[in-house]
Amino acid sequence: MNSLYIINNPQKLSEALPFIGENDGILLIEDAVVLATSDSAQTHCKNQFALEEDLIARGVKDKSQASWELVDYPRFVELTLTFDKSITWL
Amino acid sequence: MATFSLLVTANPYSSQGQFSAIEFARTLLEQGHNLLRVFFYADGVLVASRLHAPPADEINLTKSWAKLAIEKDIELIACVTAANKRGIVNASEAERNALTGDNLDPAFEISGLGQLTEAMLESDRVITFG
Amino acid sequence: MSKSICIVFNKAPYGSQAGRELLDIALMAAAFDMPITAIFTGQGVYQLINNQQPDILNIKNHSATFKALPLYDIEQILVDQNALHQFNLSQNDLLGIDELQYVSADVIKSRIANSDFVLTL
Repeated sequence: MNSLYIINNPQKLSEALPFIGENDGILLIEDAVVLATSDSAQTHCKNQFALEEDLIARGVKDKSQASWELVDYPRFVELTLTFDKSITWL
Repeated sequence: MATFSLLVTANPYSSQGQFSAIEFARTLLEQGHNLLRVFFYADGVLVASRLHAPPADEINLTKSWAKLAIEKDIELIACVTAANKRGIVNASEAERNALTGDNLDPAFEISGLGQLTEAMLESDRVITFG
Repeated sequence: MSKSICIVFNKAPYGSQAGRELLDIALMAAAFDMPITAIFTGQGVYQLINNQQPDILNIKNHSATFKALPLYDIEQILVDQNALHQFNLSQNDLLGIDELQYVSADVIKSRIANSDFVLTL
């Protein structure tokens, strides 16, 4: 089963990463979206997403890296159904 | 069409999680999915108080949840153990604990953790906002 | 067939009540006969330290309940070996629970992948 890992705190991605498979997904929301603006947050995961509303709110949408696909709330809901389950790694 | 439940543990006015959860709930309902239950746990239960008084130009999260619950017939349930220890009580809990008043917003119910487990068994997806 | 759940303890005790409140979810899921795996990773391994005395802070000690997990039919208890090494802890520092399994991140990864629900708090 493939999981969507929802990360809302930038410090939590590295903690969850050992458990994330390459076919799982990572969705950055809330404060964690800043990771999508940084070159250093590259992962082995093929499905990397960041919540567009949270990037816009923080004024950093234009700084997001191409390796993170921007998704809005409707796509967020769809992603939770595309993957077999969602794991919010608090 | 899928059936969702949400687990909300975010402190309402200290962090963004409750705002995210409300937006997610609205969006999934707009898409025609079902929202069986929103279960509030840990600091998330604080939103169930009807006594929040945010500044007039800021969102009242309790009222936002209540509006959703009333318009879309959604169950809003706060865990009794988490709520009581944080000062969120309904009339019967107030009486049982000999408290001077109650503060549960009428759109919310107080119930046990079994309601979270049941939501897991009965929903296609449970999404946590913390 | 009931849905399975992983309960992931990833925070140290007493600075937050996350461990205690997560434990309550685990016990409730057990009462519903859900197959449960308790996972201790990151600073969550500190939940299992055998010499906790939070009573000196007037905080309730919930660690005895971890010892009782097998009594609630929670017999799958995985401890992340990397986390123990990272914090300079050994198996001797942890509660004497026969069911503790010291495992690699890959074992935890596959258990998470195969569960219906995964909760952190």
